[in-house]
Amino acid sequence: MKSLVRTIVAVALGAALVAPAAAQEIYIGYQAPLTGTQSQYGEVFRNAATMQLEKFNAAGGVGGRKVVIVWEDSKSDPKEAVAIGRKFVDDKRIVGVLGDFASGPSMAVGEVYAKEGMAQLSQTASHPDYTKISKWQFRNITTQAQEGPYNAKWLKDLGVKNVAVLALQNDWGLSAAENFQKSFEQLGGKATTEYFNPGTRDFRSILTKVQRTNPDAVYLAMFYEEGALLLQQAKQLGMKVPFYSTSALYAPKLIELGGDAVDGMKLTTTFDANNPAANVRAFVEDYKKRYGQEPNQFAAQGYDATGIMLEALKRAGPNATRAQVRDALAATKDYPGVTGATTFDPQTREPSKTLAKMEVKGGKFVVMPQQ
Amino acid sequence: MFDVHFLQQIVNGLSLGLVYALVAIGFTLIFGVLNVVNFAHGEVYTIGAFAGLLLITSVAPPLFAVLLVVAAVGALTGFGLERLAFKPFRRFRDEASIKSRAMREATLLSSLALSIVAREVLDLAFGGEMQVIPQSYLLQTPIMIGGVALTDGNLVILGASILMLAGLQWMLYRTRTGLAIRAVSNNVLGAQFVGINTERAIVATFLVGSMLGAVAGIMVGLYDGSIFPHMGFGPAVKAFVAMVMGGLSSIPGAVISALILGVAESVATDFVSAGWKDLIAYGFLIVTLVFFPRGIFGYSRERV
Repeated sequence: MKSLVRTIVAVALGAALVAPAAAQEIYIGYQAPLTGTQSQYGEVFRNAATMQLEKFNAAGGVGGRKVVIVWEDSKSDPKEAVAIGRKFVDDKRIVGVLGDFASGPSMAVGEVYAKEGMAQLSQTASHPDYTKISKWQFRNITTQAQEGPYNAKWLKDLGVKNVAVLALQNDWGLSAAENFQKSFEQLGGKATTEYFNPGTRDFRSILTKVQRTNPDAVYLAMFYEEGALLLQQAKQLGMKVPFYSTSALYAPKLIELGGDAVDGMKLTTTFDANNPAANVRAFVEDYKKRYGQEPNQFAAQGYDATGIMLEALKRAGPNATRAQVRDALAATKDYPGVTGATTFDPQTREPSKTLAKMEVKGGKFVVMPQQ
Repeated sequence: MFDVHFLQQIVNGLSLGLVYALVAIGFTLIFGVLNVVNFAHGEVYTIGAFAGLLLITSVAPPLFAVLLVVAAVGALTGFGLERLAFKPFRRFRDEASIKSRAMREATLLSSLALSIVAREVLDLAFGGEMQVIPQSYLLQTPIMIGGVALTDGNLVILGASILMLAGLQWMLYRTRTGLAIRAVSNNVLGAQFVGINTERAIVATFLVGSMLGAVAGIMVGLYDGSIFPHMGFGPAVKAFVAMVMGGLSSIPGAVISALILGVAESVATDFVSAGWKDLIAYGFLIVTLVFFPRGIFGYSRERV
């Protein structure tokens, strides 16, 4: 008798707790490597997404209903990612998913979402094939397919006719160099690409080869360690040619390693912690206050991806289906994020962002005046 | 074709070759004596670079003092390396064991194991990324000579290489220790029979070889501007190629081969994509092994 009463009370209490909550809250999933070797990235995504979510809910959520993020740890493992995908798809409350981090797991789980019909927005997956999986895949990171043409036009507008491209010989370097070179040549310029092996530390012979062709500018498609070494050695060889680069060299460590040799190098990037824009300042200050460190590019990507998803939920309305959320995402236009205004191409679902032009000046990245 | 850029390419190549030579000297010395590759030589080079960097960031002494301290650290590392990876495999004194290839070649693995441990410990302690080097210590100050850019690093490395090579030859041919080292490298058993303390000669070889490796590490680190836990691998591979080209146990042969290798890599960059650069080294290695199995400088009996 006693146990029956207890059961009834428990059920009634449970129903009282669950019923209004279920009616009020909207669920989305977020899968990211929260443990394992890439946990440092998952950690900043969670930090940034939590900030964005609290802000959104405090501002009224979706028509007064709060949004809840369900977190799952993919450990950067494609198998784990797929298992999480199944779990999210089976959870009828979830209407959209954020993540995963690396292209590999994101693409593996992408097949699940493509088949079952769930919108997936990755903050970072930059592999060219990711958005080609199905109409359900979105990403909030610009690829070299956008950056290359953008930088090519920038250099062309500056009157540069002849560019030497120096690129790291891997998948990423290849796509960075090819995208730039193709666009630059279409604009009527001349570009030659020289690849070097990962692990190269002495760039003097490559630089001497570049010097002989006497280009108007050198475009660097590499990461900050190689970039710092290359610029130091270029200075030592007395090269006066201006250097430009992809956003990959946008890292404080470049200046730390390269010292004054990196001064004058110019690049384009989407996120800048020193950007004076009000929304960026608010994000940087708030992030620092909460987590005691300056947000990096990844935090900004996660913050905006979450923001884009929440805006889409808002536009789709409180009782939206998964398909409606997808359509709302696809209609994203000029989302004012901290990584620039983002628009998804209706056909390819690739994001386009306004890129900021920066220059290294006196040991700091400074935003160049728009021209 | 033969313009100032070509000359610059030759200079680049010689400086690259000197870097390979610096590593190859210690490598070849140890091979000459033990007849086995010391796989940990690349890590001795890395440890030298890190020791120098720690000294620079903590005390900031003049460069000369840095090199001296690094040499001492290198010698100490060599001593430890010999103790841990090589000595245990010489504990049997009977003739069969001394002549046993298996006992000798087991040190291939023990030195490889130690090199992995050293690299991973450095990785854990400092992180895998490149270390920040104080700008004033970088050996990259340009010295322009008629359009060709040299650096103070070129001069330091050249000076150090000449000094090391000369010092080494003097030690090998003018001192009792050198005589003992040469005797051991010629015939361990014979050396033992005439009363030479072979253990001491082997330890001395490691001290000297590792000292040279460590000094090479810090100099190249400052010259390239890059110090990180995996930095020893690339130069060690090229030094190995130079050693094989030079006939395995001839130090002057290895040095000349290293210079040829450096210049060939550098000049080739003008004709083929730099992505093919490593092909040059391995091409030389294959050609040497197929056509000149005793090294490109021909047959010679004298070891070390």
